[in-house]
Amino acid sequence: MAKYDKKRMNELIDGTLEFYQLKEMMSSHKDPERFEIYREVLQERVSWDDPILLPYGLHLYIVQKSDGDRIVKCDCGHEFCNYKENWKLHARIFVRDTEEKMNEIYPKLMSPDPEWQVIREYYCPNCAVQLEVEAVPPWYPIILDFEPDIDTFYKEWIKRPMPTKA
Amino acid sequence: MAKSQILAIDAGGTMTDTFIIDENGDFVVGKAQTTPLDEHIGLLNSARDALSQWDTKIEEEFPKLLAGVYSGTAMLNRLVSRVGRRVGLVVNKGMEDNHRMGRGLQSFLGYSYSDRIHINTHHFDSPLVPRKWTVGITERVDLFGSVVIPLYDHEIEPAIQKLIDEDVEAIVISFLHSYKYPAHERKVRDIAEQIIKKANKDIKVFATVDYYPVRKESHRTNTTIVEAYAAEPSRQTLANIDSALREAGTEFDLRIMASHGGTISIKANELARTCVSGPIGGMVGAKYLAEKLGLKNVACSDIGGTSFDIGLITQGELAINTSPDMARLVLSLPLVSMDTTGAGTGSFVRIDPNYGNISLGPDSAGSRVGVCYPGGGLDTVTVSDCHVVLGLINPNNFIGGIIKLSKEKAYEAVKKQVAEPLGLSVEDAAFGVIQLLESQLRNYLESMILGKGYSPSQYVCFSYGGGGPLHTAGYTKGLGFEDVLIPAWAAGFSAFGCGAADFEYRYDKTLDINVAEKAEYSDILMAGRELQTAWDELKKKVAEEFKKNDYSPEDVDFRLLYRMQYQGQLNDLEIEAPISAFHSVDEWESLIKTFEESYARVYAKAALSPELGYSITGAIVRGVVDVAKPQIPQEPLYGEVPPADAFLGEREIYWNGEFLQANIYEMEKLLPGNRIQAFSILESTATTLVVPLGFEAYLDENRIFHLKEL
Repeated sequence: MAKYDKKRMNELIDGTLEFYQLKEMMSSHKDPERFEIYREVLQERVSWDDPILLPYGLHLYIVQKSDGDRIVKCDCGHEFCNYKENWKLHARIFVRDTEEKMNEIYPKLMSPDPEWQVIREYYCPNCAVQLEVEAVPPWYPIILDFEPDIDTFYKEWIKRPMPTKA
Repeated sequence: MAKSQILAIDAGGTMTDTFIIDENGDFVVGKAQTTPLDEHIGLLNSARDALSQWDTKIEEEFPKLLAGVYSGTAMLNRLVSRVGRRVGLVVNKGMEDNHRMGRGLQSFLGYSYSDRIHINTHHFDSPLVPRKWTVGITERVDLFGSVVIPLYDHEIEPAIQKLIDEDVEAIVISFLHSYKYPAHERKVRDIAEQIIKKANKDIKVFATVDYYPVRKESHRTNTTIVEAYAAEPSRQTLANIDSALREAGTEFDLRIMASHGGTISIKANELARTCVSGPIGGMVGAKYLAEKLGLKNVACSDIGGTSFDIGLITQGELAINTSPDMARLVLSLPLVSMDTTGAGTGSFVRIDPNYGNISLGPDSAGSRVGVCYPGGGLDTVTVSDCHVVLGLINPNNFIGGIIKLSKEKAYEAVKKQVAEPLGLSVEDAAFGVIQLLESQLRNYLESMILGKGYSPSQYVCFSYGGGGPLHTAGYTKGLGFEDVLIPAWAAGFSAFGCGAADFEYRYDKTLDINVAEKAEYSDILMAGRELQTAWDELKKKVAEEFKKNDYSPEDVDFRLLYRMQYQGQLNDLEIEAPISAFHSVDEWESLIKTFEESYARVYAKAALSPELGYSITGAIVRGVVDVAKPQIPQEPLYGEVPPADAFLGEREIYWNGEFLQANIYEMEKLLPGNRIQAFSILESTATTLVVPLGFEAYLDENRIFHLKEL
């Protein structure tokens, strides 16, 4: 069974692996230790000590607070809200809803018609990193797209105790 | 004292193997390190090593050799590792990105089924010709061969000059539908050659119509690029090998194994087809052996360490795939058609963590055998480990004892990785793995034969390769083959096949000739003339190739073939023409008759659809000249009881729930006429034949085992 070390996980996150290495990882059965090593590597990369329960996006994590709360938190340490709430409503949102704004990122005439589709970009209010991008019809609600059942995941899927410290 | 007859060379990336076959079909194998800069040094070392086993020397034996056939991986390596020549590409203006983007399926060619449906694993290799060395020239020819846009002459010079300025070493020209209208490509070729000459440069120009005048532009372009990129650089290497062999006393013309199943001269115009020659050696050997034995239909099966290859010989002919792939590129080369699945004796055995069942391969240990080979440094169980656990492989006599295997290591690994997770005894787990492998191979073999419209009962099964005979009983059980044959020289069968290959050129050309069911005579004559013109053109090409080795056209046995289908259907059939030339309507009738006979055999008589009319989609010419070939052994018959000195003793093995005592024989010492009962294991240096319960093996006068299900 495949086994990878922390160095490999760091390279995976940084995107510095050669394609053949990635291909080998994708084509093998998933290594049973993967989640734990991956979580540890993510934890080492952040400056705060709340234990990470689950990666939640490119820069977001669900972390365990000492008071028992589970909070969505950014790389930089900015805390959004409880993971059952919609973190997007606490982010800075930039909506590209005019041709002019579209043309900043698309060649002319190659972007969607803003009457039909807009691009919503979510940013961290603290460090301004881009957290999420959606291409949706203008009237579309801001949806909480991921509501994990963390307890079941730990208890029944990976059969491990929940991390209690960083 | 052996008398060497045939030299077969297999120059791999690391090792060069030479097989020297004597007049009895016996052979020795020599090994030496490949010397990539001067391949002939490694080759001669390897031959020296081989001949030392017969206590003789190159100086003694080389002058006796009647033929020599080379196959090597240098070209393929050049392709795979993208270290070929700097090639420039001329295409239709507006099509410059086509080669770079490639055909979609090239992103998953060679992948396992699970990876093919997992799109994240799909990946395009870097193109052979980068975009900056691709130039466009305006012209357009439609699929009927009519000029829609004339060639823009004034664009030729600047385009070629740009490639010269980029310092390319070769130029490939490929226009859409050029196989229907070659004039534009040829004009660009001629002008390019003039410009190159004027610039005083040494750049060879390849127009696709001069090499592969066939439909499918990605295939045609890729193949011609491969010719310029990877094959052309091998010419000098081959010439050096040829002259080194001649200096060592040989008098034959060195030939190379080519994808169409024949061998060609090292001076041949098209060398790209020698890129893929390794695995077809066995098929060619099987065809030769089948001819000698008078068998018409043969199913060939070959298990090596990494794959299971199967192919059919039907009515004495190898099937040809005209658009195969290689090194993840679609090509238009005629390749002996074979089906391959990634299951061999070196396949890794794992328990799927999601479902808890055994999964085999698709990756394998290759030369590292398995956990049982301490030098291999592996820790995942392979099929070979299971053989060692069951006692089917003698750990002290693997490859003639060169490698010592550890039964303890295999046992521990199978126990920990397979038996314990499944809750089975170690022996049952190992037996289960073998059964799983064999039933996969059996299904694969059966579905391949049924899928082509035939039934196993019409075929004799040949089994060869290092791992084949170990599993033959298992994967042929219950399929009802007419007979199951295992040549005693199974392990070297591929090399034997290279030595047995014809000296043969084959050239293809795409045609689009449509004739209605009840056509006017004038239409039929016009169609016939077009077909005959194509045959004449290809015959000339073949004759020119043979001229390079001083054969005159009278020495060549020309065989004309055509590809035909009902109009509007998707698949054509390749058929040998029953006529020697097209003269009149009568010949048309016999072309139709032969096509319909073939069609009825492959599909069904009820499917004949003459009302659709006929299409001739291609013309093919094959030219063959006589060359020396290895002899098939012919020995007197002895009694049914094996001689005492062939018996090596007994060994405990585990089979289907019980421990048994198996008789062990030395394969080479068995005599023709011997009948070997179950449970027996016949050991040879590089292969092992298992005769399990319910089977017996009979060795005939040609030293071929017949494995019979009782």
